[in-house]
Amino acid sequence: MPVTAHPSGGHRVAVTGIGLKSPAGNDLEQAYESVLKARSTATLVDHLIEQDLPVHFACLVPPFDVDAYVTRRVARQVDRATVLLLCAAADAVDHAALTDPAGPAPDRIGVQIGTGIGGLPSMEEVTLSHGTRPQDLPVHTVPRTMANSAACRLALRYGFQGACTTYSSACASGTTAIGEAARRIRYGELDAAVAGGVDSSVSTVVVGAFARMRAMSVRNDEPELASRPFDTDRDGFVMAEGAAVLVLERWDLAVARGAAIHGEVSGYADNCDAFHIVAPREDGEVAARCMRRAITDAGLTPADIGHVNAHGTSTLLNDRAEAHAIDRCFDGQSPPVTALKGVTGHLIGGSGALEAALALLCAGRGVVPPIANLTTSPEADLVDLVTAVPRTVGPAPVLSNSFGFGGQNACLVLSPTT
Amino acid sequence: MPTREELALTVRTTISDVLGTGIEEIQERTSLLTDHGIDSLELMEIGARLERALTLRIAVEDLTSAQDVGHAIDLLSARTVGCP
Repeated sequence: MPVTAHPSGGHRVAVTGIGLKSPAGNDLEQAYESVLKARSTATLVDHLIEQDLPVHFACLVPPFDVDAYVTRRVARQVDRATVLLLCAAADAVDHAALTDPAGPAPDRIGVQIGTGIGGLPSMEEVTLSHGTRPQDLPVHTVPRTMANSAACRLALRYGFQGACTTYSSACASGTTAIGEAARRIRYGELDAAVAGGVDSSVSTVVVGAFARMRAMSVRNDEPELASRPFDTDRDGFVMAEGAAVLVLERWDLAVARGAAIHGEVSGYADNCDAFHIVAPREDGEVAARCMRRAITDAGLTPADIGHVNAHGTSTLLNDRAEAHAIDRCFDGQSPPVTALKGVTGHLIGGSGALEAALALLCAGRGVVPPIANLTTSPEADLVDLVTAVPRTVGPAPVLSNSFGFGGQNACLVLSPTT
Repeated sequence: MPTREELALTVRTTISDVLGTGIEEIQERTSLLTDHGIDSLELMEIGARLERALTLRIAVEDLTSAQDVGHAIDLLSARTVGCP
């Protein structure tokens, strides 16, 4: 079999560029260092406190020079989520040298982006500012708030004319986007894709609404201890903002143009619990099937997986169901499990993409970050949770899980270059 | 009622704000289409802001028919005559 063939018979999919704007850092190495230290990035947020919400904190993207990426003209027309996506994508595209003359033709490059919240925060903002006088609404309200705005702005910026698709599978959106992008390359529809996820929804209404479901941690006195995936004392997730983008390319074409290859999107699967509109199925049976299918899709067996990058939101229900699902998938032989949301918080649509980027780097370096704030776990008998210090496992493929409201399950297998 | 000079300053400031440029880049002879590739939404945004700033209804044709910034100022100047 030629090395460019995927076990499916399609093309292999190379990762040639990564860019991110995330609470853990605004480039990959910085974020990697941050997750290895396993210290939460959660911080108090003034406007949440001022509005007297039950939740006073979130994980925010550290300030950076936006003007270096986005002109003032464009910045006035787009919202923060789109800005974060454009900036992360610019880093990824540069990293991959995707627009070099030797790169793919623009009509063979797609944009594949996941977002769980989309333009709701900017619609919230304009509703609060103009709701009583809609005749004065800003002219750019629709193009700023439409769900596909960020993805299409990205396509527009570079003139990428391949399929531009926005995926919305709640908290799994970023993973869905990368998996679907990989499929499109694998089966010949695209030669390359700028794929990832984004959300920026640390807004009064969005945070307030999640808080009403009691899905969020209310540890307002100790925000740095709030995100604690799989820990006995977890009390909900911590909202975060950010974007992460991967440049994916047909393996043989990437090799031919001399692109540096950082790894492979080797397996993907998605399915739906079809059980409850927000709660995961407790026994994790459907999620386990999704994991298995992703591993099989990569042409691997569970024993080939070096570690699991868990969805691990720090909610009671997710972490319990996910532990059961991992236990099922691996027949009681759990590989080391980490959960980066302890550090990054939950970027909603951005989380799956950020975690795919970091999980691939960890898989290549054979290092599994410890889970922040995890001391004791009621799930410790089901899964091998990495605590306190990084675990060395040797380079091996990683399974990266994302699960979303609506019962959405999406799993990626990412393989380091060998 | 604003003088033409005052009106020109308002118009140039508004345009430069929407296009994210310095005001010095918006002169009477500047063509928003040729020099800045303005799109229709940006033009509407400029119109909306000027309507607020000048308390004046601005016809779409006034925005689209102006050859350059100076021409737009002239058209607006004619509209402001007789306004309260």
